[in-house]
Amino acid sequence: MLRIPINERPDWRRRAGEFGFHFHTMYGEPYWDERAYYQFTLQQIEKDLEDPTAELQQMCMSVIDTVVADEELLAKFGIPELHWQAVADSWRRRDPSLYSRLDLVYTGKGPAKLLENNADTPTSLYESGFWQWLWLEELVDTGKLSKGADQFNSVQEKLVNRFADIAHHYQSEQWHFACCKDTEEDRGTVQYLQDCAKEAGLSDRFVYIEDIGLADTGAFTDLEDLPIESLFKLYPWEFMLREEFAKHIDEAQVNWLEPIWKSILSNKALLVMLWRAFPNHPNLLPAYFADEAGKTDHGQWVKKPIFSREGANISVIKNGSETYATDGPYGEEGFIVQQYCALPRFADNHTLIGSWLIGDEPAGISIREDSSPITQDLSRYLPHIIL
Amino acid sequence: MSKRTSSINLSRMRKAFALKPISAGVAAVVLSGCGDRQEAFIYSSVDECVNDNPEYATQCQSAYQQALEEARRTGPKYNSEYDCEYEFGANQCRVQDVGGGSFWMPMMAGFMIGNLVSNRSYYYQPMYTSYSRYSPLRYRWMMADGRDYGDLRTRKVRVREDAFKPKPAVNRTIKRGGFGSSVRAKSSWGSSRSSGWGG
Repeated sequence: MLRIPINERPDWRRRAGEFGFHFHTMYGEPYWDERAYYQFTLQQIEKDLEDPTAELQQMCMSVIDTVVADEELLAKFGIPELHWQAVADSWRRRDPSLYSRLDLVYTGKGPAKLLENNADTPTSLYESGFWQWLWLEELVDTGKLSKGADQFNSVQEKLVNRFADIAHHYQSEQWHFACCKDTEEDRGTVQYLQDCAKEAGLSDRFVYIEDIGLADTGAFTDLEDLPIESLFKLYPWEFMLREEFAKHIDEAQVNWLEPIWKSILSNKALLVMLWRAFPNHPNLLPAYFADEAGKTDHGQWVKKPIFSREGANISVIKNGSETYATDGPYGEEGFIVQQYCALPRFADNHTLIGSWLIGDEPAGISIREDSSPITQDLSRYLPHIIL
Repeated sequence: MSKRTSSINLSRMRKAFALKPISAGVAAVVLSGCGDRQEAFIYSSVDECVNDNPEYATQCQSAYQQALEEARRTGPKYNSEYDCEYEFGANQCRVQDVGGGSFWMPMMAGFMIGNLVSNRSYYYQPMYTSYSRYSPLRYRWMMADGRDYGDLRTRKVRVREDAFKPKPAVNRTIKRGGFGSSVRAKSSWGSSRSSGWGG
């Protein structure tokens, strides 16, 4: 695993405009950064990232079996009681999932460690599935990178196939796609998923989360009063289950992506349950509920809210006292602690690997760098190759 | 074996053209190539249907009438002329009394007819189009459920049988805004980033 500087494609910003990739620069800071790339060996990709990703996914699935059968755990996971049955039913039916991203700490050797599972609303999908793919194509075509260079990235191919399978599963070809208003990045991610769905032969309509309506028939509707049969929502279940329309979710009978059982995976309590079920597994870090006594008295720990995004409300605890904290609006549903595991540093950057699953299959990686030790919303995205 | 997506059709990933009416080719891919689909025709008038099928003039006439009835039942409904015109274009909507309420609805722009020449009875569906520059379905055939059937020149389409299933009657949306309140609450926290809930 190497970080190798390289010249940017001179016209990449124009090219980005052409393909509708508008969030490559955010808040005046670069987000997509092709002034360097990461290089892996095939062995590193397959043995250290791909295989463990598949295994971690299976381990996560076995945790769901435990949680849906245990009311105390469902409560600990912060899932409102009104929806316990829906979560269990959705899991029992094995409602298909579209995608997830496991965040891994990996230094280039030794086992990758699972930091968290973004199972419900992962982003950076377009940059991974399409844009870094195009970067490699163009660098190989112009002779800047070897023809032998490959990439761990079958995200787009697998997404298209997965949409076709899911549409077949539900016998539903008409899909709605939703995200919140006023976020170019989320809208771009959802547009990419619409593009993939279209490639799979599905029809796609867009509606903003805030515009979803409730009809007198009990169905959810779009702005044209069309009933929503099947919906991809880039909006977390933990929010939806606490909002006004939560009580109408069952009756609306929507085919959801992600399915509601993902509310168990996209939850940091999962990390605690994984460590309980698979103690000392090489790809796991020790993790406990923060209210379990005495766990953080020695060593360095990261305290995270069970619901948290973009690195918010995280603190570092060293031998029992807090040394670093980020601000944020989360935490009312409880916290977990996870053993601190420093991100590897490459040229003064802290580097985090996102490992994609489409359905249950490992499908590729994305790499983000941050100047701070906790990856936040201003991290940069860098492409990678296998050589 | 390569570890990456083998090929991507770049012309279909390009967004600079997305604002123009989508070319007929996109719909053709969606609508062809599957065994369990059947042929259907879209006509913008009874005359067109009769010209194409002189021996079925009666069926053309009655399919048109039945499609009109179906349009009344299942057509998109709006509470205001403005909303309807925003989607379908100026002068494309009129007010209709349906089931005790009064709504603005787009006028039927044509009808789809399937199975016309077989011995079994034919199928029909009302078809709509949009002339609004705000609509992705401008100059395209769509069904009441918003499904896209290609541009207005399209006559012959291959459709699944379920395209002819009666559409669920659309009732009034009684409330909006029941999702999305958390995002407003959390984003008021003034992070460097005001929105976006991906992880």
